[in-house]
Amino acid sequence: MDDSHIQLAHGNGGRYMRELIEQVFAARLGTVDPSLDAAPVQMDGKRLMLTTDGFTVQPLEFPGGSIGSLAVHGTVNDLAVSGAVPRHLTLAAMIEEGLEIALLQRIVADFARAASEAGVTVVAGDTKVLRRGEGGGVYLAVTGIGEAWPGVHLGMSQIRAGDRVLVSGPVGDHGTAVLLAREQFGLRGDLQSDSASVLPLAQSIWALPGLRFMRDPTRGGLATVAHEIARATGYRVALDQPAIPVRDQVGAICDMLGYDPCFLACEGRVVAVVAAAEADAALACWRSLPQGADAAIIGEIRAASPLVTLATGLGGERVLQELEDDPLPRIC
Amino acid sequence: MAAQRWLLDGRVQGVGFRPFVHRLATGVGVSGTVRNLGSKVEIIVRGEPAQLALLQDNILHHAPPLARPHWLSCEDWPHHIDAGFAILASAPDSEIAAGVPPDCFTCPDCLAELADERNRRYRYPFINCTQCGPRYTIIRGLPYDRSATTMASFALCPRCLTEYLDPADRRFHAEPLACPDCGPQLSWRAADDSRSPRESAQGEAALASAVAAIRDGRIIAVKGVGGYHLMCDALQPETLRRLRQRKQRQHKPFALMCPWQGADGLDGVRKLAELTDVEAGWLTDPVRPLLWLNRRPDSGLPDELAPGLASVGVMLPYSPLHQLLLQACDRPLVATSANRSGEPVVFDNADAEQRLTDIADGWLHHDRIILRPAEDSVWRRAGQHAMIIRAGRGMAPLEFRLPFRLSAPLLALGGQLKVTVALGFDDRLVVSPHLGDMDSPPALDLLTDTVVSLQQLYAVRASLLVSDAHPDYATSRWAAGSGLPVVRIWHHHAHASALALEHPDVRQWLTFVWDGSGLGNDGSLWGGESLLGRPGNWQRIASVRPFCLPGGERAAREPWRCAAALHWQAGLHWPDVGDDGALLHDIWQRRINSPASSSVGRLFDAAAVMLGGMRKTTFEGQAALWLEQQAMEGGQVTELPWLRGESGIKALDWAPLLGMLADASRPVAERAAGFHASLVDAVLRQAEAQCRQHAGLVVGLAGGVFQNRWLVEGIVAGLQAKGIPFRLAGRLPVNDGGLAAGQIVEAGSLEHG
Repeated sequence: MDDSHIQLAHGNGGRYMRELIEQVFAARLGTVDPSLDAAPVQMDGKRLMLTTDGFTVQPLEFPGGSIGSLAVHGTVNDLAVSGAVPRHLTLAAMIEEGLEIALLQRIVADFARAASEAGVTVVAGDTKVLRRGEGGGVYLAVTGIGEAWPGVHLGMSQIRAGDRVLVSGPVGDHGTAVLLAREQFGLRGDLQSDSASVLPLAQSIWALPGLRFMRDPTRGGLATVAHEIARATGYRVALDQPAIPVRDQVGAICDMLGYDPCFLACEGRVVAVVAAAEADAALACWRSLPQGADAAIIGEIRAASPLVTLATGLGGERVLQELEDDPLPRIC
Repeated sequence: MAAQRWLLDGRVQGVGFRPFVHRLATGVGVSGTVRNLGSKVEIIVRGEPAQLALLQDNILHHAPPLARPHWLSCEDWPHHIDAGFAILASAPDSEIAAGVPPDCFTCPDCLAELADERNRRYRYPFINCTQCGPRYTIIRGLPYDRSATTMASFALCPRCLTEYLDPADRRFHAEPLACPDCGPQLSWRAADDSRSPRESAQGEAALASAVAAIRDGRIIAVKGVGGYHLMCDALQPETLRRLRQRKQRQHKPFALMCPWQGADGLDGVRKLAELTDVEAGWLTDPVRPLLWLNRRPDSGLPDELAPGLASVGVMLPYSPLHQLLLQACDRPLVATSANRSGEPVVFDNADAEQRLTDIADGWLHHDRIILRPAEDSVWRRAGQHAMIIRAGRGMAPLEFRLPFRLSAPLLALGGQLKVTVALGFDDRLVVSPHLGDMDSPPALDLLTDTVVSLQQLYAVRASLLVSDAHPDYATSRWAAGSGLPVVRIWHHHAHASALALEHPDVRQWLTFVWDGSGLGNDGSLWGGESLLGRPGNWQRIASVRPFCLPGGERAAREPWRCAAALHWQAGLHWPDVGDDGALLHDIWQRRINSPASSSVGRLFDAAAVMLGGMRKTTFEGQAALWLEQQAMEGGQVTELPWLRGESGIKALDWAPLLGMLADASRPVAERAAGFHASLVDAVLRQAEAQCRQHAGLVVGLAGGVFQNRWLVEGIVAGLQAKGIPFRLAGRLPVNDGGLAAGQIVEAGSLEHG
C-alpha cells in the first residue's frame, strides 16, 4: 500500500482511516478526540454537543432515502448517541456543474423533511459549484449542535467486563441497499436503507442507570464499532452471531457477494453497551418502539485480550479482524 | 597420552547420549568427564591417541538411534583429569545452540517390560527410558534435566533414583523416569460425575472405566503425549454420527488408531487398508505418524468415518497408555484431535473438561503436565516417498542448518492455515509443530505462547519478525501489532524457499508453486506459479491464465463459483450454474469482490464440480481430494497451451479442459484422470523447455496442491523418464505448514543477497 498518497481505503472506516486521522489530524489538532461521535462544549454554563459530518454517498438517491435525508440522519444520530437532543444544523453543499436542478430540489426537500421530523432547524449554510468532473454530483457537509441531556454521561471509559452489547435492529441494510442501487442487479425486492433519526431509540434509554455507551454503526458497520470498543477499553467484545439480526435478503445478498453484514453500514441503528443487570430493561425499551422491534442482545464485554470474536453457533468462536479496506466505498 | 576437550551439538540431549558416552569411554578405557553444557555436550578425555580416535569414531557413527550428534570443536586440554570416567552435573552456557528432541514412541524394551507381569512397571502407562518417551512436550528449557521438565514435580522413589544414578542402567539420567509408586497416574471422570478429582477412579480402575465407556459406544477424551484425543469405537456408526454432530464436523475424515496385532503389529491395519512395505515401515517408525491409506472395500469400516472418500488415516498406538487402551478394546478406535471445531488441540486437564463439555462423555486424564501441545504427524505416500502432510508429535521441533549466518535472530509466523512458527538464529532454524488455523481466540493464544516458549527454549530473543505479505492474515496482524519491526515475504516465495532449505546443494531451481491462494506481488491471488531462481532471488516466469473469482474468499469453500468463473472467463455459458447464476454473473462482470486469481487449487475445485463433486465444501481441500479419488488409470492428456501474457509471463491456459470435463460420454474416472494427466503434461513440457535454456536446473514442487499423489507420481515418473533432476520436500510439509521455515530462509537470503 502506497504510504505517501491518499487511497480510497483511507475513507472507508477501517484501519487506514483510523491511522490517517490519528497521524495527520489528531496529531496536529490537539483538542480533537477522534473517538467521540460528538464533542462536548461549554458555553455560558450550558452543556452543548457539537458534531460535523461529510456526505459523499453514491448514488445520490437510493431506496429509503437520498444524500439529503442521510445528511440529516447521520448528523442528528451522532448527537443522539452522545446523549444530546439535536437542535440546529448547518448545511454546506458542494454541487457539481451539470447536476439536474430537479434532483437537487428533491435532495434539499429530503433534507428539509428529515430535519423537520427530527425537530431540528437549519440555521446556516453555504453553496459552492464545482466544475463538471470535479465532484460526484453533490457533496454535503453538515454541522449539528445539540443540548446535552442532563445526567447523561456516556463514554467508552464507562464500559466494564460483564456488560452486554445490544443492537437496535437488523444490520447491513443501508450498505446493501446502496450497493443494490449502485449496481442495479435487477433483483426483485423491497430492501431499503435504514436511514433514520435514532433519537427516539437513544432517548428511550438515556435515563437507564446501566447505560454505558452508544454509537451509531455507519461506515464499517457493527464490527467496526466493536473494534473501536475493544481498542479503547482493552476488553474483548464477544458477539454471538446467531443473535445478530440480519434481514434474510441482506444475508442472501451478502452471501452471494462474499461480504459480511457485520461490516456493512447502517444509518438508523444504535449499538449500546449496557450493564448486565439493565440489559433486559434496555431491550424492552427498544422493542416497545417500532424502530426497535428487532432489537437484540448480541454479545458481551469480557475481561480478555482485546479482540472482537464471533461465536458461530457451531460451538466455536471466530476472531473478527479489523476492517482493512471496506469493499464498498462512498457508502455514506 | 593426549588430553582433549570436545564439544558437540545437534540432537545430543534427551537421547541417552551421556550414558552412551560413559559406557563407550569406560569400555575403551579412557578417563574424563561428560556433561551437558547449555544445549551442547562437553566431553573431556585423556587417553592414548588410538583410544581417542576410536572413541570419536564410535560417538559419531554409533550413537543411540535418536541422537544426531554434530561435532563443534576439538581442542587440547591442558588441565588435570581425574582417573576414571564420570558424568558431571549439567551447566548453563551463554552460547545458543539447538537440540530439543521430539517425543518418541515406546521402545521395544519398554514395551516388553510393560507386558511382563514380573516387572515392577507391568502395565504402567508412563513407562519410558533414555531411548523413548516424552521430550519436547514436557521440556521447560535446556540443559535437558529432570528439573527442567514437567516431571520435576514427581520426586523419584528410592528404586527409581537408583536406576537414575546407575550408569549401567537403561534409565540412567532418563529424565522423565517414572514408576507406579512415584510417577504420574491415570484418572477417569465421567461427564455426569460430580465427585472431586481425588475421588474419581484412578490407575487401572480409570483405564477400565475408559474401556467400558468405549465399548458402550461413548465418546471419551484421552490425554496423550501432545494433547487430548477424542476416542470412540470406529465400528459403531451411531457413535460416529454423534461424534460428527458434536464436533460439528460433517465430512472431514476421522483418524483411526489400530491395536498392535500379529508378528509385525500390522495385521489389524491390513484388514482395513491397503498397505505397501514402505508404508508398513512408516507406521512402525518411532514418530508413529498418522498415515493416509486407501481403505479396503471389505474393511467393514462405516462410511461415517470418511463420508464419500476412499482414504483412511491410520496410526499405531504411540504411547504405553494407548498400547494398553487399544489392547483392551481390541478393535480400531477413532483418535481425533480433541478440540472444538477449528480450535487447537486441548492439552490441559481443566481446559479439556471445560472446552469439551458438550463433546466428551468422559475424560481419561493423567497428571503429567503437557507444556506444549503437539498434534499427530501426518504422512502420505507418493511413489516410494513419504510426503509430510503435517509435522507434529515425534517430528517437531524440526531443526535445520541454514546455508548462511543470520546477523540477528528472526521469528517467522507463517500464514493463516496450518500455521507453524519458525525461529532462525546464527545458522540454525527451528520449526514448531503444527499449530493449526489462526482464526479462533485459542489459536491466537497458542500462537503467542509458542512464540514465547520457542524463544525461551532456545534462549533466543528475536528482534525482527517475518510474516506473510497478506495484510489480513491473523499472523500478519499479530506481527503488525507486536511492536517489533516486520519483514513481509511473498507467500509463494516462502513456499519455494522452504523447499530450497531442504536441498541446499541446488544452485538454480525451477519450482512450481501450486496452491489454493496466496497474495502475489501484483495484488492478485496467485496459486499456479513457476518460479525460477533461488531463495532471495525468485523470478516468476510463468503462471496460470487468470480468472476472476466472484465472492473472493467464498470461492475457496464454494467450488461452484470456481466452475462458473472459468466458464465465463473463457466466454462460455455454464448450464449448471444454478438459480443464483444470474446474480453471480453480474457480480463477476462488474468485478465486485471478484479478485483475479491464477490458482491451480481453484482449477481442481472447478473440475470437481463439473464431474459431479460437491458445490460447497466443509473442509479445506475436500473437492480436490474427491477429484483425486475419482481418477482411475487411463486418462488422456489434453495439451494446454502456454499463452503469452503481459510483462512476458507465460500463462497456462486451462480453457481446453472445460470441454473435456463437460464431455458426459466419457466416464467420470477417465475425465478425472485426464485432468490430472493434462496438468502433469504441462509441468513436464515447461520443465523440459526451461532445462534446455538453463543448464543445471533442478525442478521443485511446492504448495499444497502437491499433496496430490496422482500429480506427484505422474510428474516424478515423467521427470525421471526425461532425465530431469528434481527434488521433493521430505521434512517440511509442502502446504502452508512449511511457510514459516521458508519465510526465514527467504528473509535471510534477501539479507545476504
